[in-house]
Amino acid sequence: MKKLNIVLSILSGIIFISSCEKDDICVDGATPLLSIEFYDVTDTTELKDVPTLVVQGVLEDSVYPIIANVSLSSIELPLRVDATTTTFIISENLTATDTTTVNKDTITFNYETKELFTSRACGFTVNYDNLQGSISETDTDQWMKEIKIVTALVENDTLVNVKILH
Amino acid sequence: MLLLWVPTMAQKDSLNIKNKDSVVYKQAYGIRLGIDLSRPATSFLDDNYTGLEIVGDYRLTQKMYLAAEIGNEKKTIEEDLYDFTASGSYIKLGIDYNTYANWYGENNAIFVGGRYAFGSFSQTLNNSQIFDTNRYWHPNDFATGSSAPMEYKSLSASWIEAVLGIKAELFANIFLGASVRLGALITNKDPDGFRNLFIPGFNRVTDSSIFGVGYNYSLTYFIPLYKKDKKPSKKKELTTE
Repeated sequence: MKKLNIVLSILSGIIFISSCEKDDICVDGATPLLSIEFYDVTDTTELKDVPTLVVQGVLEDSVYPIIANVSLSSIELPLRVDATTTTFIISENLTATDTTTVNKDTITFNYETKELFTSRACGFTVNYDNLQGSISETDTDQWMKEIKIVTALVENDTLVNVKILH
Repeated sequence: MLLLWVPTMAQKDSLNIKNKDSVVYKQAYGIRLGIDLSRPATSFLDDNYTGLEIVGDYRLTQKMYLAAEIGNEKKTIEEDLYDFTASGSYIKLGIDYNTYANWYGENNAIFVGGRYAFGSFSQTLNNSQIFDTNRYWHPNDFATGSSAPMEYKSLSASWIEAVLGIKAELFANIFLGASVRLGALITNKDPDGFRNLFIPGFNRVTDSSIFGVGYNYSLTYFIPLYKKDKKPSKKKELTTE
């Protein structure tokens, strides 16, 4: 009977433990951001700061809040996951104190969204593929001269995706 | 004590005390069939689960049993950002070895065993949201990933299990059993775009491990087919010389 007691305690112990769930925390990464760097149009290898860089997202006529930028020559922008296009207004101001000299350019990115199952804890994240960018044609005074797509697949936050020349 | 004393007596006189009495013990051999009780009980208590398992074994030798389980499970798991349903059947086939020395008339078992199992199932992703740490476009919630259910059919997996359990005779050939299992996946093909997070018969699949645990409580009925002599177990003789 002693043997039975031992077996029963092992059995009930394992049954209790099997109902435990692993406390999963998502550490494997999230949906990546679009990485943009600003370069000089005259020397395309030189980073060029944008004076008073302000970026805002635009969706159906409503302008979203300002996206905080890391520096004046690079910024990371969130692309929409529930659509294949995202529009931003990127503005510069050559005289920081004078608000009338703000020059706003509208830029639109088109891409394909690919949903990936990352892990049990994270669930699904999105990678963006076939990235294309275009500057709005209706603006007469464009300060952004050219867009170059460096990496068309946005799958992490380390590689630079877009170079904007101004 | 008696055993110690008796061999010394044997030295003195020619009394042969090694003669066993002539009663031969017979044990019943046959098929045991029944169901697992935990799965219907969980089906009743848990809205997200339905399942049934049929349990059986066949006695090969005094201690060895051929054992099998067949079952069907359907489980819906709701995680934070997605929920899915896994549904399918499985079959497990293996051997149980009884380590318990039954006394005359007893028919209990404390067994260890192994199983080879195969499951065939489908996964349905009911709905999902995209995980994004950036809150810019959706300040209050995550973006909806897919709202139409995605079904991944004709999936299969196979695994082996190590089993530890007991089966006790309640009365009149009716047995109550309980077992725990440690399973290790051999083949598991994930569907394209999703993963097998729950395999019916194996239970939850963890991200980086091939192991899983399971259990059952069984109620079985023993159908005796024939009787066979009980082989005497090797007596541990206390010899003085």
